[in-house]
This record gives sequence, structure tokens and C-alpha cells, in this order.
Amino acid sequence: MKVDIQSLGTFNQLAHEGAEQATQSLAQMTGIDAVVDVTKITLLNRDDVGEELAGQDFVGVQFDFEGALDGDTVLVFESDSVGPITEALVPGGADGEMAQSSVEEIGNIMMSGFIDGWADYLGTTIEHSPPEYIEATGADVLPPAPTVADQPQVFVFKSQIEWVGESLNFYIYMLPEYDTLAELMTDHAEPGGDAIPIDKLSVFNEMTTSGTEQAAENVEMMTGIPTEAEVTQISFAPIEDVPKQVGDDTYVGTVVEFTGVPSGYLLVLFDEVSAQNVAEALMPTEPDGEGLTEQHKAAIEELGNIMTSGFVDGWANVLQTSVDHTPPQLVHDIGQAIVDPLAAQVGQHQEHSFIIESEMRTDEIEFSSEIHALPDEKELRQALAELEVDRADQTDADVEQIF
Amino acid sequence: MPDVLIADDSEFMRNLLREILEEDHNIVGEVENGVEAVEVYKEQTPDLVMMDIVMPIRDGIEATDEIKTSNPDANVIMCTSVGQEEKMKEAVKAGADGYITKPFQKPSVMEAIEDVVPS
Repeated sequence: MKVDIQSLGTFNQLAHEGAEQATQSLAQMTGIDAVVDVTKITLLNRDDVGEELAGQDFVGVQFDFEGALDGDTVLVFESDSVGPITEALVPGGADGEMAQSSVEEIGNIMMSGFIDGWADYLGTTIEHSPPEYIEATGADVLPPAPTVADQPQVFVFKSQIEWVGESLNFYIYMLPEYDTLAELMTDHAEPGGDAIPIDKLSVFNEMTTSGTEQAAENVEMMTGIPTEAEVTQISFAPIEDVPKQVGDDTYVGTVVEFTGVPSGYLLVLFDEVSAQNVAEALMPTEPDGEGLTEQHKAAIEELGNIMTSGFVDGWANVLQTSVDHTPPQLVHDIGQAIVDPLAAQVGQHQEHSFIIESEMRTDEIEFSSEIHALPDEKELRQALAELEVDRADQTDADVEQIF
Repeated sequence: MPDVLIADDSEFMRNLLREILEEDHNIVGEVENGVEAVEVYKEQTPDLVMMDIVMPIRDGIEATDEIKTSNPDANVIMCTSVGQEEKMKEAVKAGADGYITKPFQKPSVMEAIEDVVPS
């Protein structure tokens, strides 16, 4: 089964328009001014779905849908937003069953528009169940991702909706059954177009997981801090949405440009506390001063360099090619500001971008790190075309054999 | 003690290598790119060059090629974060005598040096 870039873009646009429709319904009913921040399609391991929701309480609604596309969809509000929403719907406020009922109803209206957009585009009907009220913490608020034998990864459509002027977010997740989505994607692929075999995209994602594990091992070896690779995923989004994915927190890290097949940009980012902690774990002596000193920056630069290599070497070895990268350039800025110029560069040749994202963390000290790769779309497609699935586990090179 | 030249654009890594090597080796220079590596090599002709690959201006493989062309008896160990098979083959072609991947610890560095420049 194959998926072409154009149909991925179309499906992403459908999800985005559906989320905008849902947001308009919310505004009409409650007066709440909200905007769709990001919509993306992500291929990731089933167990990692909803990882970004960790630690927060949510309420919302869930629907099953079936027809041309089968699966589940969910709209969730951060719990703190429920009061203002019910207050807008039921003057004087509501609690208990009435509050639940108002969430169900608003969810029903918002999500009907979301699902109808898909049905209209596909020229068919998609039936959905009545809304089911849900309430849970973190990823538990989401239904289990669909399972398919021998397919550990799933496609997830996710929209993040931001309440303007408030630090509250809503999320829409669509978790389609893999087979029906894959069939739809194949049906909508243009003959002779830019098709990518879906299985190769999954294999590439597994290679990336392996690269993240190598990067985490490198961190552990350099710092002595046990470090675990966490989420690894490959997403597809319009170029203009790419910087938003990284968000507006401040990061310290490195950027490199890599060349070869594929080429692109790779960022290794730490939040400021993590950067300081990991740099100090690397330093043989106490730092010269407070905060992020030149010593910290030098350590971060080298760590970024080694993590970058750990990440991309596996691609090169499996693809039997070389991927060169520039020396690391230290960055210290808001996430979006770091990514903006890179996305603009990549966007000169493409409207959408694949974004390869990984996270790693440790429990010993406050430390987490993200790796983001923005490959050139055509070259990633070429790399996938050349990818021999049987070689996918040959990510390591044997120095002893060569020297 | 063998004379060693360290070529790495990372100050952090140069410091680390110096600390590992200075007890048993004479560090004759520390440079940040391939052009400087070639220049200092020609001036000092050290017994060994510890050469990073990813460096600005000229990378370590090109610098190794130039050093080996000027002196086929030069000893160069690539000391790099790059763990790609094709890159290792390029390093062999350029004449590198050894290859250590970062992150490394002292024993693996000493072992690689012993293989290339036996004490």
C-alpha cells in the first residue's frame, strides 16, 4: 500500500478544516475565541499516542465512526476550561450531570462538523455513535489505538486548538483503523505520483527509534546519567505549522544542516534547566560562573554533535550511503524562533514537511531532550525508495571490520 | 613520549582528549579545523594526529588525505562522532590508521593509540 504526498496533504487539510469547523461551532455557542494552532498527521507507536497530554486532567467526548473510514475520534478540553464553557452555555453555571451534559452537547456539535467534512470529501457517509462523555488524566483520556497484527504503529490525526488569551488548549484526535486509512490513502494516490510505500515509512520510523536509542546511549555514556529514549514519531504538516510544533518555550541546543539522501536540518534541544544539568554532568570541573557559561555552551555543542551523529548514522548505514552534517551551531532562543528560519529554508521547495521527532529523558535529574529533523521531502522519498526493508536493523557499522 | 596533535573544532572535546593524553603524551598543538591541522602537522611532524571528521573550513578526511599525501608514514586516528560505514571507508581511503567513535573513554583511546603507535 502506498500513500502519496498530495493525498497526505489533502487529508491533513481535511483534518485542519474539520478542526476549524469545530472551533467555529464552539465560538458560536459560547463566544469563546479559539484558533486551530496545529494540525498534523503522525505515524507513531501505539503506546506513545497521547504522550503529550501527560500530567493534565481532561474532559471531553468520544465517538466511534464507521463507513469509508473506521475508528475513534475524541475532543478533549483541559479540565480548567470546563467551568467557563459551561458558564457560557448555561448562564449561572452548571455542575454535576448538567455540566457533563453541556460538554457532551458542545462536543457533539463540534465533532459532527469534523466528521462531516471527511464524509463530504470522500463522497460517502460516515456514521458515528452518540457522544460518550470521557474524563481522565493524560493519555488515558484517549481510547486505545486500533490494533492490527504485525503493525505496531498507527496513524493519528491531531489538532491543537488554542483558546485566545488563555493558557488553555483543546485537542482533537482522530484514530482511524490502519487498514481503512491505508486503503483510502492508496485510493487517493495519484498514479505515477510521489507515492511512498506505507510499510517503508513505518520501517524508517523504526530506524529513527533506533537512532534515538543510540543518541540516548551516547548521553548516558558521556554523562553517566541513565537516559531513556521516549517517543519517536514521524509527522506530516504544512510548512507554516512546523515552527508551532516546537512551541514557545526557551531552548538551548544545536542545529546542524545535513547533506546526502536525505538532506535537511536537525535540531537537538534542551530546556534551559536540562541544558545546564546535562552540561554540568559533562564537565570535569565546577563551572566558572552562574547560569549558562561558555563552558556549558561548549559542552552542549559537543553533546549536540554526538547526539546528531547517533541519530543519523543509522540512516546512513541502512541506506548504505553517507550523510554529512555541518559542525553544530549553538542556539538559545524560543522554540519557534529557532525553527522559523529552518522551516523557511525547507519551505522554498515544498508546501508540507515531514517532521521527525524524538524525546529522551531521565528520572535522576531534571533532564529531557528533543530531537527534531526536517528532511527535504523529495530526498526523503528517494531515501525511502532506496530503503531495503531487510537491512533496516543494520544501523551499526563495525569499525573493527573496516580498520 | 610521543608527540600528538589534536584536531577538533570542539573546545570541550580538545580539553577532554588533552586530559586523557597528557600524562603519557606530549601535546604539540590543538587546532580547530582541517586547514590548521595540515599546517601544524607540517610544522611539527608529530608522531600522531587525533583527527575529528566534522570540522569547519576543511573536514578531517580531507586533512588526513593531505597529511598522508605529504607524508605516507604519518599516523592519523580519526576521533569522531560519525559512526557511518561509508565514512569509515572514506577515512581508510584517505589513509587513516585508526578510528574511534565518540563518546569514548580513556581505555578505548589508549588501545587505539597502542595499535597505531606501539609504546
